[in-house]
Amino acid sequence: MPILSASVGLTRYRIVEEVEDDLIRSIPNLLVKYAFKDIDHTAEERSFGWVNMDDMLDDKWSISPPEKGQYYTFSLRLDTRRIQPAVLKKHLQIALNHELEEAKKEGKNFISRDRKREIKDQVTLKIRARSLPIPAIFDAVWNVPDNRLYFACSNSKVLDMFEEYFTDTFELTLEPLTPFFLAMNMLGEDAAQKLESLDPTYFVG
Amino acid sequence: MDLLLLAERENTLLGQDFLTWLWYKSEIRDGLFELENGERFLLFMEQRMSVQGGEGENIDTATVNSSSGDMTEVLMGLKTGKKVTRAQLRMEIDENAWQVQIKAEDFALSGLKTPKVEMKDEEGDDPDSKFLEKIFLIEKSLSLLDCVYMEFIKIRISNNWQDEVAKFRHWLRNDEEK
Repeated sequence: MPILSASVGLTRYRIVEEVEDDLIRSIPNLLVKYAFKDIDHTAEERSFGWVNMDDMLDDKWSISPPEKGQYYTFSLRLDTRRIQPAVLKKHLQIALNHELEEAKKEGKNFISRDRKREIKDQVTLKIRARSLPIPAIFDAVWNVPDNRLYFACSNSKVLDMFEEYFTDTFELTLEPLTPFFLAMNMLGEDAAQKLESLDPTYFVG
Repeated sequence: MDLLLLAERENTLLGQDFLTWLWYKSEIRDGLFELENGERFLLFMEQRMSVQGGEGENIDTATVNSSSGDMTEVLMGLKTGKKVTRAQLRMEIDENAWQVQIKAEDFALSGLKTPKVEMKDEEGDDPDSKFLEKIFLIEKSLSLLDCVYMEFIKIRISNNWQDEVAKFRHWLRNDEEK
């Protein structure tokens, strides 16, 4: 989801580790190193990586740099090939019919379970190679001085992928600013015990 | 990750207590809150809200999406011990208004609308100016949210929380008399 949309979904993070100046300087290089790799001309099911927030086709930040003021900006691009179940069912049926005819010529009247599985894999791969990956874009904005990061998405699967890939790229850990962690962040570690031992409130009594 | 799992209970507890308290607090104050620097802003709940009660398989949810702002059904829910699990908030400073939906258990924000940012490019504009204005406005709304959350969390962990709950109950009962 683009951060400039009129209506944005947002997940907030704190970066757990202290970020060294050397690392900040190497952000542009690390983004290129872990950039998105196109799968249009393959049969890969999925690919994801960083791209320029200003242009999802720019995986080398040649159009604009990731720095904008005190922020580093980039997007997680995720391309996925999806096969419609009905399409797979049809082509699997065609392939199985064909296989059965061949088997009959050899005097067999069935297809083994292993062979069925093999055929299904082949058919899946063949359809996948013919279908175009669907791209999705999720913007990330890293406020470096504040150690905060905003990610324009709230889908838990995408969040898991983002958090893991961020750690792989920068060797830093993201802590989602959920109610407990936001409170810890505001009050300091000393408040942890108090926050952990709270009882739920009964608002009616 | 273990820490995240451990925090699940606390997240739900704090998030629901916060949104439930926020409803009461914004009602009795007519939405008026103040940042640390003295800047005043308005924050109130509007239009959409969900309340939830019960545990495990017996979770009951009541959701209202009312353009007229009639919250009777969720208010009924509060009176039977339900808590606010999702809400739409509106924040205002002078002419500027923000709108956002917030989920209690993880503070995920959705449908965040900031004051309008001019998207047309003018000659000589800094190419990043639109982004910088937008992110300024986003961070502004987060600072308002954090400000009310900070106020809540300080009372929540203090000995004054039971007094606050007593006031909440009084407010809820008074609503019945209206």
